[in-house]
Amino acid sequence: MDRSFHVFLMYIMIHLGFIFFLYPNDIITSSDEAQWIPIIIGLIFHFVFLWIYMKGLSFFPKKNIIHIYSQTGKGFAAFFLLPVFIYFLLVDIIGVRAYSEIITIIFLSNTPSWAIIVLFLFISAYLAAKGVEAIFRTGVILALVFFPIVFFVLIASFQNVDWRYLFPLIGDDFKFITSPSYLKSFSAFTGGFLFLGFLAPYLTYKRKKVLIASAILIPFFVLAVYIPVLTFGHGTASTFVFPYMMTVDSTYINWLMFERITIFFILSLVTFIMLQVSLLLWMAYQILNHWAPHNPIFSVATLAIIIFITSLMITDWHIVEQLLWLNSFLRFYVIVTVPLSIYCIGLRRQGRA
Amino acid sequence: MRTNSLKILIILCALFLLSGCWDTKDINHRSLPIVMGVAMEDDQYKVHLQIPDPSPTTMKVRIVSETGETVSKAVDKLSANLESSINLLHVKVIVIDKELAKKGVKDLISGFMRSRDVSPKALVVISDEEIEPFFSNLKNTTEPQSTTLFDFFDKNAGWNPEIALTRVWQVYRSIHSYTRDVALPIIKSGDSTIIEHLGSAVIKKGKMVEQINTEETLLVNAFYEESTYGKVEVMDEATVMIVKNSMDHKSQVIDQVPYLNSKLHLKVVLLETKGNPTVKEIRTSLETLLTNRFNEMFTKIQESEADILGVGQYFRTQIPKEKLKKWRSTQYPNLRIDIEVHTVIQNEGQLKLMTD
Repeated sequence: MDRSFHVFLMYIMIHLGFIFFLYPNDIITSSDEAQWIPIIIGLIFHFVFLWIYMKGLSFFPKKNIIHIYSQTGKGFAAFFLLPVFIYFLLVDIIGVRAYSEIITIIFLSNTPSWAIIVLFLFISAYLAAKGVEAIFRTGVILALVFFPIVFFVLIASFQNVDWRYLFPLIGDDFKFITSPSYLKSFSAFTGGFLFLGFLAPYLTYKRKKVLIASAILIPFFVLAVYIPVLTFGHGTASTFVFPYMMTVDSTYINWLMFERITIFFILSLVTFIMLQVSLLLWMAYQILNHWAPHNPIFSVATLAIIIFITSLMITDWHIVEQLLWLNSFLRFYVIVTVPLSIYCIGLRRQGRA
Repeated sequence: MRTNSLKILIILCALFLLSGCWDTKDINHRSLPIVMGVAMEDDQYKVHLQIPDPSPTTMKVRIVSETGETVSKAVDKLSANLESSINLLHVKVIVIDKELAKKGVKDLISGFMRSRDVSPKALVVISDEEIEPFFSNLKNTTEPQSTTLFDFFDKNAGWNPEIALTRVWQVYRSIHSYTRDVALPIIKSGDSTIIEHLGSAVIKKGKMVEQINTEETLLVNAFYEESTYGKVEVMDEATVMIVKNSMDHKSQVIDQVPYLNSKLHLKVVLLETKGNPTVKEIRTSLETLLTNRFNEMFTKIQESEADILGVGQYFRTQIPKEKLKKWRSTQYPNLRIDIEVHTVIQNEGQLKLMTD
């Protein structure tokens, strides 16, 4: 079934959650001036691997990456799928933990984070157990409800912009490339698109739509970093944990009945994160199901409980940041090897045929 | 049957979870102060809060105060002694004692930004008299309405273009910025009006270093292109009302000395005249008046090395970042600013101006 529109929306949504929380801080910490250079480099990286991945997948219509790898042999499949599986679990653990902490930092300061994690995981696991169709249909509803809020806040946050902070436009050093926070920032570019390889037997999509979706995301990447920089200047913006949230907090709209629009903004993004978590759970379940077939409810529940327990063991925000940093190695490994290997397998098969 | 009861159980559980209430306190068990006053008393913060106290017939205003090592500590103590818990979510105005402002408000403002209890949009004001008498006078003179102080600064209510309008986040930004300082309004309780506005405090890196008067604050606001609409400018020949203002700037660096050419464009309407001045006379006299006033003010703030106009911003393209870090102490004192005022008298009102 062609579900290009669903995939298109989902692609945008799961990236937005990354873009507005951790990404601005990572970029602002990594470079003093001319932040557009690191952003562009990340975007190029994103587009190249996205294209290779989709091109590779297009050699195998109606097959997902689990099928593709298992065609080439059991050892080969384990070699590629095991890191992917671990990566998904790690992203889920860190994601659930990080975003529950973000919620407590920003507004629910009295609520213990386990309660937030339970809510997060419960809804996501329920969706994941219902299958990918359910996730995508939920995505459409969430998009309809929350996109207007996100756009409204985005436009409103221009209020205190001082364009002179844009200068100097050209930075002369490329030190940011080696800084840990810059490598962490890649989670926003590369965390999302692996799901495209899992959809195959369930739904199909047009490659062009995904490329359009990722092109639509470009201004979001730029604005999420530049609006805080233009409002506060780099010196001040670099002292914030969530620069974009601070910017939204400082917009003053007289006629709006809600005093703090930040909460609406965060809640919309958090629902996108929930969607992302459920998608990751579902993908992890797919891999698990390939090795040890089980009822989806049973497998997903087990995964959710594992994630819950591990995320509770993370006690403070510094450990979360450290894990994000450690995870970036695994991410680079997964992001580079999976698209390239799929592409190579595809090319070889084509050569043989 | 079994699945049905399971579903019902899950729905019931969800009811508890989804209500999203954790350690909730009802609104009637919360005190929501509108104004917060902070002073320093032997290394302890003294916090005053003005809390509206709605009773069935009239609205009363209650003022409570407490000391503590930090503001949150003091608020905590207050909260413990009060019958309801204090929530700083709705604080609109923060009044800082002048002495504390002179010592520096860096910790105070950073604390507000960190904890997020107080909205970063709250206005920051400096009190020329001690906080204690200021609040008690405020209480005595105010009609039973708790938002008086806030209305004074509200653009849709009592705000005038001579009043600086600076928020918590802007003060925080100025503390960490190389090229930007802020002006905070100075007020005290008045005799016939509730509040008397005395001008603005020049805050450099979180410390009060200088004071400018109300007319000079108007120019600061004009520099920021805040609307100065409605301001009546009195000269020897006439009284005019400014209806529109805009600025443009040209910056250049020659031999390490920064130069800034600024043009202030004004559109005015004639209100009153004395004698028979010509249009030209009125225009020149307004232009010289404003130019002189601006230069006077600028010399004052330049001497204190506080860049409340954010002039350094205009040099971001010409001065490299490393040098810009020392903007306040090295380049800014040498800055030459050349202000030109262009006035357009849009109309002369209902009466014709005498021409001869």
